[in-house]
This record gives sequence, C-alpha cells and structure tokens, in this order.
Amino acid sequence: MSRHARTLEQKFKIPTVAAAGANIVGYATGYDFQYSNGCPIRYVAFPFPVAGQPKSIHKQYIEGKDQVSGKPIMQTIVDALTLPPTDKEKVEGVPPEARPEPRLLPPDTEDNLQRLFKDKDWTDYNPIILPTEERVAAMLKCTSRKPDDVVKVVNWPGGARPLTVEKAAVCAVMAGAKPEYFPVILALATNVPFGNSTTQMANMIVVNGPIRNEIGMNSGGHALGPYNEANAVIGRTLTLMSKTAGGLHNRVTAWSSQGNNLQYNNLCFAENEEGLPAGWDPLHVQMGFKPTDNVLTVGTGWTYIASVGSVQHLYPPQNLMRDYMQALTANGSGATILMDPTVAGLLKTVHGFETKAALAQWLSQNVQKTAASYWGNAVVASMAEPLALQGLEPYATWQKAPGDAMIKPFNNPRAIQIVLVGGKTQSTWFATDFRLGRGVLINDWK
Amino acid sequence: MKKRYVRLIALIAAAALVVAAYGTAQNKPPAQTGRLITVLNPAVANTMARRIPLAPRLSTLEGKTIYMVDINWGGPEAAMSIFEEMQAWFAKNMPSVKTVIKIKKGGYETDDPGLWQEISEKGNAVIMGVSG
Repeated sequence: MSRHARTLEQKFKIPTVAAAGANIVGYATGYDFQYSNGCPIRYVAFPFPVAGQPKSIHKQYIEGKDQVSGKPIMQTIVDALTLPPTDKEKVEGVPPEARPEPRLLPPDTEDNLQRLFKDKDWTDYNPIILPTEERVAAMLKCTSRKPDDVVKVVNWPGGARPLTVEKAAVCAVMAGAKPEYFPVILALATNVPFGNSTTQMANMIVVNGPIRNEIGMNSGGHALGPYNEANAVIGRTLTLMSKTAGGLHNRVTAWSSQGNNLQYNNLCFAENEEGLPAGWDPLHVQMGFKPTDNVLTVGTGWTYIASVGSVQHLYPPQNLMRDYMQALTANGSGATILMDPTVAGLLKTVHGFETKAALAQWLSQNVQKTAASYWGNAVVASMAEPLALQGLEPYATWQKAPGDAMIKPFNNPRAIQIVLVGGKTQSTWFATDFRLGRGVLINDWK
Repeated sequence: MKKRYVRLIALIAAAALVVAAYGTAQNKPPAQTGRLITVLNPAVANTMARRIPLAPRLSTLEGKTIYMVDINWGGPEAAMSIFEEMQAWFAKNMPSVKTVIKIKKGGYETDDPGLWQEISEKGNAVIMGVSG
C-alpha cells in the first residue's frame, strides 16, 4: 500500500493517508519506510484484524481511536491530510549509507560466538557450525565462482542486500553442509528469501538429476524425515540464508501470525527418479531440462495433507487424492502431489495413467469445491477476486456463481505437479498446495 | 616382591590418569579452553531507500473531493464497509466534502495508473486502505 501512496504523493502531489491494521503500521512506518519506500507516508492504525470483520466492528473502528496517536480516528485522518509536513517529512535525496558489515567478527570463544549468532537472530536456534575462514574456504573450493560474486540482490522485504558466494558459503558452513553440497546451495541461494507472509507460507525444495546420488541425497525411505544429512542440511541452509541475507527478523520484517514448522528444513528432498514408471518423466524433464541436468526447484505453499494409510483396492488412489485436494486453497490452481513410487506404479498399471500429465489432467477435471469455499479463503480472494472483477475467466464466472455451486478450482493442470519420493515401504502420498517455480541449473554454480 | 607389585600398579594408574587427562584436553571445545576464534560475519549490509518528501497538504478539506481507494487486501469485500463508514462520517460531520469510493484494479500490490490519473484530475486527497 505504501508504494501506491508514494506514487500519489510524489508523482501527482496528492496528499494521501494510508489506513491499516496496527500490525502493519509499525512495519510500514519503520522498516518499509527506511529500506524500501523512502516516503514518510502518514498512516492511521485500526485495531487488528480489519479485513473480514463485520460492518458493526468496522463502525466501531471508525468511531474509535487511532492505535498509534490515541486520537479519534477520523480526526487523525483529517489532520494527516491538512497539517503541513514536518521537517523530517520534507527530507529528500539519498540517505547516509547503511553501516557496512565487517567481513570478520571480533575474535571470541566458541560459547560466546554461538550465543552471539543466536542473539543476532542469524540462526534457527539450533547449534550451528561456526564459519571459520578455513571452513568457508573449503566450501568455496567446490565452486568456480568468486567469493564476491553476487548470487542475488535480496530486495524483499525492502532494501537491497547483496547475497555473495562467500555469504552463501558462510551459511552453508553454519548449517553443517559438506563442501560438495555447495553448488546445490548456490542454486538455492537464487531463491532467497523463503516464503515470508502474514500467512503460514512455507517452501519446498526438490532436487533432480545425477547430483542427487553424487552428494548422497535421499529420495527413498524417509526422504521427508530427519534421516539424511544432505536433505537436512541443504534445506536448513535456505532458512539461514533467508534470516541473514534475507534480513528476516520476527515482528520486524517477518510477520507470519503462526509461522510454519516446515521452515526449519523447507521440505528438502530429491525426486525418486529411479522409481518412476515408464512414461512418467522426472520433474526437471517435464520442465524441459535434459535427464542428465542437475536441477533445483523451489515451490511456495502452505498445506501438507498425508494419505495416512496405503492405497486400498476398493477406492482408487486418484479418488482419494481428489477428495483430499478439495481441502486445498487451489490458489492459482497450484498443487504438488508427493507420492511413493508404489502409488505411481498402481496409478499407471491399474488405473491407466500413462504419464504424470494425464493424472494432473484428471485431477484438474475432477476436484470440485463450492464457490463459497473457494472464495472463503482470504489469499484466494486477494489474488483472484480482483481478476474476477476485471472480467477474467474463469474467475468472473466463479465470482458470480451461487455459494453452493460446484466449481473446478484446479483449472490449470500444468500447475499440478507430481513428484515421486519414498522407499516403497507403503503406498502413501501427500497432497500439498505447493506451487513449484522454474527449476535452476545446479551446474551453473559448480 | 609385594612392594614392587604395588609400585607397578601405582605406575599404571598414574599413566592411565595422564592419558585420560590428555584425552580430555584434546576433546575440550574451545570455549572450555578459552581459545579465541575468528569467524566470518553472516550479516549482509542493507541499502536504505532514497528519501521522498510528502506532498504539500491541503489548508482545509471543506469543499474538496476525497478519493477512498480500496487496495483489495483480503479481497474487495474485506474492508469496504470501513470506507462506507468513513463516507457516512464525512456526510454528517463535513458535508461539503465530496467522497468517492474506488476499488483499485488488480491485487493489492498491482499498480493502477488509470485510477491515479483520474484522482489527479478530479480529486484533492486520498484515503487508501485497508491492509491488516
């Protein structure tokens, strides 16, 4: 919202006041102003939450007081539009440079440094390996990139923080990575920071190609559990890079109401390519990469529903997937099904799904939910309802539909991904609402 | 003979203690030895935003047109009644103020140049919201 207010203030010289919940205003007038927006937008603060409250509560808000100044809210709005800007609000131009960060920290004992890293909020609060020069140098030997090469300038949430190869190596050491993991971690660094939202947003990391086996990633039994070093450590590195280079700090720049436990490891695993039935391509090949390419893919989502038990012959697995997917938001039609190779085998040999795409197509055509349930999710409403109001289909039709009308919310089968993971102990699967992005070539970072 | 045996036992015990003590010292973490370590700093310097001043304010709202812009946070229905209540407040307390409620196109982050242009031509001030 601040950026729209800035446009009106700067480009059109229109006095503007922004209205938000008290939870947003601190961020907007603090970090966002300093590092992102630069314009000292005047805000009024309502009690939180605002969105979704009944009219009676909104009426109370308007009759109530600004949560920052304590003055009546409407008087605060009038003042914001009429009181002349203060000297601080008239400042123009480039601010003083931020204090540079020294490359090395002052020497200290291991205990004190472990404490410092926690106090600075640079860790996930599990112990870390201290990034000595020797350890970081060993990590850097596994890439041809120079230490000061910038992998990504991280500008969300606000600011501009250059994530260099050396900084990524520091985080890799902290997480406990072996040097041979480092090219995968650099590919991962291009996706920093991880999901950061007021919702419970989280991430998923999928690795494809020969490098999975070369560095000992697990795509089989317990691949999604704490039983493999590479899966555990690579996933953890995304968290540490997000908290350091991403500048994420609780209640300052990270505002999830509940957080998400998946952010400790970010669902990091390798696809079980060896378990794919004939005709079912690995994820990276579906994206157009060669089978021999090493590819890392990151997705964003929230929800993770387990099949719990194995497939029953009386109720085909695709039917249970269809049923469980009704609980997913279907935001942008996105879903990722994580299935044991045994499930894929059954789906192909017993139920006739010759490819992953055929299953995705079937799910797209068969998952249904009521229009009210679809629109009842605030993320969907934020993202899709404006499109509906512009007349974009199918959202416009869904928006006009009666609440109890059934719609097919996964309208884009290409946004439904199937990824094999598991050790053939049981025919289980997960239905998730993770939407996978474009894969990154890991060899570019070797 | 017995004396020599006792002396041998004592020697073995002493040797074992020395070995144990040496082993403990080798396994001691640096903190316990007090050894100072130099490590790299994981923090990344941030760049501050270029400062932009506020626009001049109006001397009064009387007789002016205020646009109320819903940015679509939580969907178009989520906070519309906030603006309707504001509109009612102005009608009662500052009746010379004209208010216009508009829903911005796209999601809450999407720019809407057409609306900004309209506001610049027909409006004098804006109330924008509501996030949270």
